Amino acid sequence: MTNRLCYVCEGGDCTEKGSGDLFEKLRDLVHQFDPLQQRIKIRRYPCFGACEQGVNVTLYPDRIFYSVVTEEDLPAIAAHIEGKGAPVEQLTGKVKPDVEQIIWDMLDSPY
Amino acid sequence: MSTVDLEAKIPNNVGLRDNKRLLMALEKWQPAFLRWWKDVGPSDFNRNDIYLRTAIGVGQGGWAHFDYVKMPDYRWGIFLADPVADRKIHFGDNIGAPVWNEVPGEMRNRLRRLIVTQGDTEPASVEQQRMLGHTAPSLYDMRSLFQINVEEGRHLWAMVYLLHTHFGGDGRDEADALLDRHSGDADNPRILQAFNYPIDNWVDFFCFTTFTDRDGKYQLASLAESSFDPLARTTQFMLTEEAYHMQTGENGLGRIIKRTAELHAAGKDPQTEGAIPLEMLQRYVRHWASASMDLFGGEDSTNAAEAFASGLKGRYREGDGIYKDPKALQQSYSLEVPTSDGRIETKDIPLRRAMNAVLLDAYIADCKRIVERWNRELEKLGVSFRFSLPDHKFNRHQGVYAGFRFSPEGKLIDAATWEAHLTEWLPKQSDRDYVKSCMHPVYERGKYANYIAPPSQGANNQPVDCEYVKFN
Repeated sequence: MTNRLCYVCEGGDCTEKGSGDLFEKLRDLVHQFDPLQQRIKIRRYPCFGACEQGVNVTLYPDRIFYSVVTEEDLPAIAAHIEGKGAPVEQLTGKVKPDVEQIIWDMLDSPY
Repeated sequence: MSTVDLEAKIPNNVGLRDNKRLLMALEKWQPAFLRWWKDVGPSDFNRNDIYLRTAIGVGQGGWAHFDYVKMPDYRWGIFLADPVADRKIHFGDNIGAPVWNEVPGEMRNRLRRLIVTQGDTEPASVEQQRMLGHTAPSLYDMRSLFQINVEEGRHLWAMVYLLHTHFGGDGRDEADALLDRHSGDADNPRILQAFNYPIDNWVDFFCFTTFTDRDGKYQLASLAESSFDPLARTTQFMLTEEAYHMQTGENGLGRIIKRTAELHAAGKDPQTEGAIPLEMLQRYVRHWASASMDLFGGEDSTNAAEAFASGLKGRYREGDGIYKDPKALQQSYSLEVPTSDGRIETKDIPLRRAMNAVLLDAYIADCKRIVERWNRELEKLGVSFRFSLPDHKFNRHQGVYAGFRFSPEGKLIDAATWEAHLTEWLPKQSDRDYVKSCMHPVYERGKYANYIAPPSQGANNQPVDCEYVKFN
């Protein structure tokens, strides 16, 4: 089983910006090349706290923090997950490093 | 996708129609629940039309239906997340074995206790908050309160379903007792002490939903990993509703902070304007954060070790595979422990015994995210005050730090130092009196009490000035 994870934020602000639909569409795109979730698991996450920059999507343990994600960005994100494209640079670096770090601290478990 | 029976007396997706005995038992419990709601649920407002979300299924997007409902007519239903085919136990001693659909005999008492303790908190919080409608700062907030109340009622139904279905006569007795205990009742109180105090102002309410409901989220999340599949599926669905409760608290406190910060930025004294001073709010944050940390139980706990080993409770997001050792046998946890001679020493305990502490660590990281979010708002408004979360050792009454005194920064201190700083660190009577003096109802559409900013968005894409509560 893979330990690579893609989290789509479902906090209040991200939900208002349509994160529920984005989650479903990204899951469907990834399902086309990874139906058994052997390469990555797509999950919802309660809140990343970067609400102004929503919708937020993270890849872990890649430590890639995508912000202001819209439906148009999903094919590029899926291509990167599949290994057919680079990380989507224009969606990264929009959140302050200390905010990003809080998220990695939440996801990193020493155990 | 499971079939949802919305026409039944008790809406459900668990096939109640085909289980006559269970159906009869639950239909017998239903009038008692409605009596409980009438007697100790929200005081008044039961004849008003409230814009409420009702769960009508478990699929994405379809589970939340919004409409105007009178609270006693709310359709409290039983919904479990859809089963995962061939789900296997993914942590503890029985890893790889099929999950249980019935309670193993040797787990019966422990599991029943877990469900009863979780179930007891649901009606307790409704009882604690029953008077708040009378001082709602807006129709928007009043709607949020009642949304939370009816959903806590639904969560009670979820736990009662498990008790009736899997624990026979004992379970039915426990389900009855959930309605017999009452928050603050001297003779028959709620099980956890934090649920026996009235929540009679909106600062406490938002703190409760931010910090105490968040403890509930972590407890539910650990149960959502459970090897007892009906419990895992029940709690998974409860978590989707619980998210709204925590957002209500986090955003509510954020709106109080924003209002005060705006007054600061305008050169006004918040207290003469009827807003809540930030230092006062910080004291409430310390109180509620530390009280909620107590709910996680002892940091070094053989009970927690057994619950993990037997597969009853996992770690937060155990199923995502973020932990290196799903059996938790290879590692230890470094716990700071106070000694009788006034020092702190680090003690390594087997990881399994530290499961409560591991869950608490995840909770603290989440709370840190919230505080940082509030601080970014303050920075944006040019206010220099910054909120901080108290150290996990501060003001604890459960676990290894109980009986010792620590500063909010986590420094071990003596009793005299504690007494000298107590009113600086935790809410004092004058704070409580002042907060109480700010609590006046605002029932005019689109208007907000002076201590709280309007929300950035309305509920379910409705405008902020929507008539969320219709007084008939």
